[in-house]
Amino acid sequence: MPLTLLGVGVRRNIIAVKGDDAVKKHLHNLGFVEGAEIEVIADNSGDLIVGLYGSRVALNKDLAKRIIV
Amino acid sequence: MSIKIALAGNPNSGKTTLFNALTGSDQYVGNWPGVTVEKKDGRLAGHKDTVLQDLPGIYSLSPYSLEEKVSRNFLVYEKPDAILNIVDGTNIERNLYLSTQLAELGIPMVIAVNMMDIVDKAGDKIDFKKLGKALNCRAIGISAQKSRGCRDAAAEALLVAREGLKSEAPHVFSGSVEHALAHIEESIQGKVPAASIRWCAIKIFERDKEAIEKMGINPKTIEHVEGHIKDCEKELDDDAESIITSQRYEFIQKIVKDCVVKNSKRLKRMSISDKIDRIVTHKILALPIFILSLCAMWWLAVAENGPGTILTDWANDQFLGEDGWHLPFTSHKFKCPEKECENCTADERGENCTCESCRIYTGMEYEEAQEFYAPHEKNIEAWEAAYIEAYNEANKDKEGFEELAEMPEELDEALARTVKADGVRLDDDEETGEAVRGKLKDGCGPCIEVEIAEEDDEDAPELEWTCDWAMYQVSKAVPEVDPSNYGVFIPGISTLLDSMLDKAGVNETVKSLVKDGAWGGVATVLGFVPVILVVFLFLAFLEDCGYMARVAFIMDRLFRKFGLSGKSFIPMIVGKGCGVPAVMAARTIENERDHRMTVILATFIPCGAKTVVIAMFASIFFRDMWWVAALMDIIGIAIIVLGGIALKKSRAFAGEAAPFVMELPSYHLPTPNGIWRHTWTRVKGYVFKAGMIIFPACVFLWLVMHFDWSFTLLADEEIEKSILHDIGSWIAWFFAPLGFGTWQGAAASVSAEIAKEQATATLGIVAQNMQGTSTAAHIKALFGSMSDFPRLAAFSFMVFNLFIPPCMVAIAVTFREMGTKAWGWFAVAFQLFIGYTIALSAYQVGMLICSGVFTFWTILALAIDGFCLWAIFRPARKEIAK
Repeated sequence: MPLTLLGVGVRRNIIAVKGDDAVKKHLHNLGFVEGAEIEVIADNSGDLIVGLYGSRVALNKDLAKRIIV
Repeated sequence: MSIKIALAGNPNSGKTTLFNALTGSDQYVGNWPGVTVEKKDGRLAGHKDTVLQDLPGIYSLSPYSLEEKVSRNFLVYEKPDAILNIVDGTNIERNLYLSTQLAELGIPMVIAVNMMDIVDKAGDKIDFKKLGKALNCRAIGISAQKSRGCRDAAAEALLVAREGLKSEAPHVFSGSVEHALAHIEESIQGKVPAASIRWCAIKIFERDKEAIEKMGINPKTIEHVEGHIKDCEKELDDDAESIITSQRYEFIQKIVKDCVVKNSKRLKRMSISDKIDRIVTHKILALPIFILSLCAMWWLAVAENGPGTILTDWANDQFLGEDGWHLPFTSHKFKCPEKECENCTADERGENCTCESCRIYTGMEYEEAQEFYAPHEKNIEAWEAAYIEAYNEANKDKEGFEELAEMPEELDEALARTVKADGVRLDDDEETGEAVRGKLKDGCGPCIEVEIAEEDDEDAPELEWTCDWAMYQVSKAVPEVDPSNYGVFIPGISTLLDSMLDKAGVNETVKSLVKDGAWGGVATVLGFVPVILVVFLFLAFLEDCGYMARVAFIMDRLFRKFGLSGKSFIPMIVGKGCGVPAVMAARTIENERDHRMTVILATFIPCGAKTVVIAMFASIFFRDMWWVAALMDIIGIAIIVLGGIALKKSRAFAGEAAPFVMELPSYHLPTPNGIWRHTWTRVKGYVFKAGMIIFPACVFLWLVMHFDWSFTLLADEEIEKSILHDIGSWIAWFFAPLGFGTWQGAAASVSAEIAKEQATATLGIVAQNMQGTSTAAHIKALFGSMSDFPRLAAFSFMVFNLFIPPCMVAIAVTFREMGTKAWGWFAVAFQLFIGYTIALSAYQVGMLICSGVFTFWTILALAIDGFCLWAIFRPARKEIAK
């Protein structure tokens, strides 16, 4: 399911990152890769702050939808 | 030959902090990703031949935004002699991702794991030996903020640079990828530099077009290896680029497992940062919290009884002005002013002097003395005013007087005896002024027998007390309170300047040039240091604590509505300090269209210099309305939002904003030292500017205001013949619809393009012949002479100067960042249009509402507003970009 549906405080592993090349590459570089453990820290109506590799990354809703967990 | 060492690492990993520590420079640091957008070099302290290069932070060697490209190009194509790779120890996985790429460049490298103080505190352990071994280079732990291990890191980097100890790239990838890479390496051997062959091979494998083009490799070679890549992709069922990234992260996870022991307790607990994030990015609370903090800042800076205003008043009147000040925290007891007073012994220094002139004030503190003298002063003022009135009445044939000092002859005693004024009762502790009279009679000053009018009513309010001729004489006989007779007194700079000029014996013209021109202008600007100090302190806190990146995140939703990313908000906050770094900070915006738009819009947020203009108008015209100042920020944001909406509907800017993704730094409580350093850097710049730009500009303005076209000196009354007057008058028509269409308004507005605070300095200079005794009164009178609605005209002047194009320096940077001249002109034209429109609407619509004044200009203002509304609300273009 997309990351937006995960709910605050839940941890999952990333299954895939969908979408267009430049952004996808950037997400990959930031550590959004298959198998990485991810947690939703805060949810502002779909815009998320997620925990990834011990740091926090903010994503807007459109982007969060592309990350499948 | 000098050695070049590059500092490379993720954004916000502390590169600039380390750079400052190692080179002794003072580059700006902040707690959000993207503070550094340009490369900066500095000499390594103690090693003259070693240049340290600070680079913008990058997540990988495939750049995503403009400033990342700067770093990539430097590292890959300019090739430093060594790389000092800064790794954030609290976020080691993501940071090592870049390290694995840097290790492939074939440049000697040292890894410095930063923020070890925080890592230690959290209870994590890092094995540097193992870490270094895994990546084939030295790794050491440092804390740049606490200056721990920085020198060792630099020494290590210097060592590997000198010896050219190229590390062998670590074997990061799985068998089939390594196999394909080996094939590629084989076919490009000799065509690329041997050292970076692995990096080239990986780029070819990833099919990175830009990098391949730069290598200048024959397309046939690429085609030849394509088969190997395809095989590999097939085997691992993923695209080549994803394979590389995933495998890098897998490799890192293995290393981290081996080298880092994480404190197991810490992982389960929700960190404080997370808790704060849940509140400040809450979907309902987020925006109010941000606006509240903005209002709090403005309240502190300009509210009537707020600290900013108190300090500003002190700076203007006491420190820079003529009042002078007493050294705080010391006794302000009266001292005998006479240098050779018989009554004073050397060791007493006159504190208990009882000589004639001292008697009254002996033993009093300065404040007591002021309190004692206050009723006398009021009586004197009231009586003298009444006397002048009576005198003018009796001598109607002569010219009337305004002040007693102007009168040629002595007081007309016959007339004086008849004059009575509303006065203040002079009773001290006792009734009916006995104490005062007693002291006066007691051998101090001239002894006067006075009959104080008997009061009929014990409880008469103060104002009903009558001050007559006799009472006036009593009050007049009391010596004025001279602050320099109390404690340690430091005279105001204006007074000092006065006495210096007098001593130097210069003529009146030079005196006026120095005092009214140069110093007057500079003092106006310096007088507002307290206000910008408050703003800069607030800004430094905002930048250091980590809230900045969150603001970008919460603004994203709003900004996205009109097609900009929340990232565009960061330059706007930076712009609160200064427009120049703001325009440059826009480089972190990935998309060229949005980058341009952000550059155009960023300077609408009032910067530090514009804050001075706001502070001046707030203190002169809107003292009871501190929120007018906050309103300026809100108008700034509104322009950005609405201007953004309108621009996005034009063809040049149409299109979706880049998706928002941004690493959020941990919150940390900023250290007072850090905050002070940030604030001081900015305040210093401001004071420096007052000396280097405002000072010569003021001298120039004074000169063109006091000379006519034949370069003859003009007297104060003849200023209407001056060069400045003429030039101002020629362009004043442009400002007439805005309510300040006089030569003074024009001169102030135009000169403000040098630097925005020049507007206040120029107003101070051009208004000096107006009525009143202070600069504030002069300026109030100036606006009174411009318009029937001085407050509206002042408001209009303020918004005009805030929202037209920024100062020259910022305009120059705008031109540079916009890329082409045409775009630069567009930005300036757009900003001028917005500034003019807002001022015009404020003044014309304001007049219409206040008193129903309706002219051609009202129609024009409404028409332009209508056009703006149309531009904002017209239907969006059909996606051309598609």
